[in-house]
Amino acid sequence: MKEIAINPVTRIEGHAGVRIYLNDRGDVDSAHFQVVELRGFEKFLSGAAIEEAPRITPRICGICPTSHHLAAAKATDQIFGVEPPATGKKLRELLNIGQYIHSHSLHFFMLAAPDFLLGHDCPPETRNVIGLARHSPDLAKKAIAVRKFGQRLTEAIGGKPIHPSNALPGGMSAPLTAAKRAELATMADEALRIALEGWDIAHTLLDGVDTEFGAVRTGFMGMTNHGVYSTYDGPVAVLNGEGGRIGSFTGTDYTKFIEEYSEDWSYLKFVRLKGGENYRVGPLARLNVVEKMGTEHADAALAEYRERFGTVSQAALAYNLARYVEFIASCELAVKLLSDSGITGTDVRTPAVEVVNRRGVGIIEAPRGTLIHDYTVNDAGIIERCNLIVATCQNNYAIDRGVEDVARRVVKNGALSDGAANQIEMVIRAYDPCISCATHAIGRMPMKIELVRKA
Amino acid sequence: MSMKIAIEELAGCSGCTIAVLDLHEMLLDVVDKADIVYSPVIMDVKEPPEGIDIAFVTGAVRNAENQERLEKIRRRAKTLVALGTCACYGGVSGLSMLHSNDEIFSYVYREVETVKPDGVIPTDVPPFLYRAFAVGDLTKIDYYITGCPPKETYLKQIIPALVSGDKLSLSRKSVCADCDRKMGAVENWTLKRRYEGVPDREHCLLGQGYLCLGSVTFGRCGAACPKNNVPCHGCNGPSLDILREPCRDIYGMMVRRISDLTDKPEKEVEKELYDIAHTMYPFTIGSLIMEDKEVSKIRDLVKERSR
Repeated sequence: MKEIAINPVTRIEGHAGVRIYLNDRGDVDSAHFQVVELRGFEKFLSGAAIEEAPRITPRICGICPTSHHLAAAKATDQIFGVEPPATGKKLRELLNIGQYIHSHSLHFFMLAAPDFLLGHDCPPETRNVIGLARHSPDLAKKAIAVRKFGQRLTEAIGGKPIHPSNALPGGMSAPLTAAKRAELATMADEALRIALEGWDIAHTLLDGVDTEFGAVRTGFMGMTNHGVYSTYDGPVAVLNGEGGRIGSFTGTDYTKFIEEYSEDWSYLKFVRLKGGENYRVGPLARLNVVEKMGTEHADAALAEYRERFGTVSQAALAYNLARYVEFIASCELAVKLLSDSGITGTDVRTPAVEVVNRRGVGIIEAPRGTLIHDYTVNDAGIIERCNLIVATCQNNYAIDRGVEDVARRVVKNGALSDGAANQIEMVIRAYDPCISCATHAIGRMPMKIELVRKA
Repeated sequence: MSMKIAIEELAGCSGCTIAVLDLHEMLLDVVDKADIVYSPVIMDVKEPPEGIDIAFVTGAVRNAENQERLEKIRRRAKTLVALGTCACYGGVSGLSMLHSNDEIFSYVYREVETVKPDGVIPTDVPPFLYRAFAVGDLTKIDYYITGCPPKETYLKQIIPALVSGDKLSLSRKSVCADCDRKMGAVENWTLKRRYEGVPDREHCLLGQGYLCLGSVTFGRCGAACPKNNVPCHGCNGPSLDILREPCRDIYGMMVRRISDLTDKPEKEVEKELYDIAHTMYPFTIGSLIMEDKEVSKIRDLVKERSR
């Protein structure tokens, strides 16, 4: 058997590889997306006080720590039976938006765009954000400025730009000052301007690109608030492979909809709908689920996006464009929330007294998709059981099949050119997989593609 | 010839690489003077090349692949810098040592509510080592930069200095040094859980009964958490006095400080503490240096490994 390895897959968050098995004619027999790390958060959180979960779980991922922070905080609200006051909730929403602005701009401009703007045949040393800085210095500066706003916003609301700690049971630990609000509002206007300028590049990005690449047919899952785009709060809607709505859930009901399974060759679990249908989460899924974004410019972008991809799209590469529509929405929502007079209120926390519910499920849309934190505690609030369902596990099947689809197209006579290898990685990167999230992982890697020839 | 820089990722969260990106516009100045030749999160080069001037290694060592990567980057780099608390002290990955490897795998793949009891436990993957390690436990490290992750203000001083070969003197104080709280009177002290009540913003959190690790934790974070009314939980690793003195340990020093503050005997203080692993050692449990201290509680917390 002959193996081709792309190991590590680079420009994604964490360690993954691809293994391609060839038959004796040198054609692709099968291919898999392989993750080589696990960190074991689900197990090692047991025994911890539940109020520590919002502080420990951000360390699952340095790119989307806020998502874990907020999902865990929402679970603790339920356990202590405390609802954040209006300002506390708005601050959490704003914190979540800071996460999106940083993560989506990082992915679009720094991780994915180099493929499209510099071409996937460009040498690997320059096919990255630094190469982008040399190729399009203005664009790189703007990308840096807008991501900086995301991080500044996260720091102001969450206490720190990476691994924020201000969300706690019942709300937030500190209010937003008027001076800080004014400073952030100015930055938000600038970020929105950059986001809108960037749409000129983004919306043509997939012109002439074969979006059948890495195609896979699945159902979808994403949060929506009565049809409007929502990432902090609301029921999670589930669509089948035809785009028909099969239901929605909140809280513990997620266990009625999904099940996890594992394979021998990857630390990364797979998630599917009960009954066996596979589904995807993240920007593509969310846009498939919502009727509208609820903000002016994002709705205009959504209309343009739908002209090309339809109301429910299966195209993996459309993730990149869907992500950008969300990026615009995030900037608009930041402007909107920062101009809300209620955002600087001082009532940000409902004090927790004691454990009211032994189980809490915090669900939030992380940039990469639906994130579920499920904790069961004893009467003293010490964690007994914990289940974390992260976006990349839910996309694992689609990534795995997408890899095989592209491998079949680009592996020629048992050989893989650098450019072809990168095309395989492009499909993986479309999902912006977060491997450290996915495995709550131990260890990390860029990607190895292995070609394995069956003897 | 410009300076060649690499960033290697082991068992961690990529937050330290994001912290480097958080130099923001200064990053463009850095890449003017230096070439980033290898960084898997942001570029496509698959393996660290030979002849790296400065390599940053982030994350702990938890599996065989991490260990191989650490050895390789050490061989190929003139200067090796441990970047972040995971590399320096094992970080949260160390908490996985509270359970055996088999217990972890069994729980993740067979016991959580959404998996089936006959779930596959992967074997065709890099095997776990018997424990977690900080990188300095396994190889020679030239510089340590702690922080989970290291903060922008400091990286903006450290990285340009490293690139230009300048020496730099930075604060070596604890988190308390940057904290603006006053001590105030401490009466009828009892330990509070971190969810209980709302701390007042003016006075020392430890004095108010919250387990704040500021006094035993290395600073350079601007006391970000205490300033936001959140007790410190030690993410920068131990303060310098604890690191340097073999007979000093995070737990022991916390007990002593609480006792001094409250006039309660140390034995009484110890009775009030709970879940020492997650409250005192969440970021240092994987460090041999911290475990080897005579007074450390880590050995009691970690089950002996036989795998």
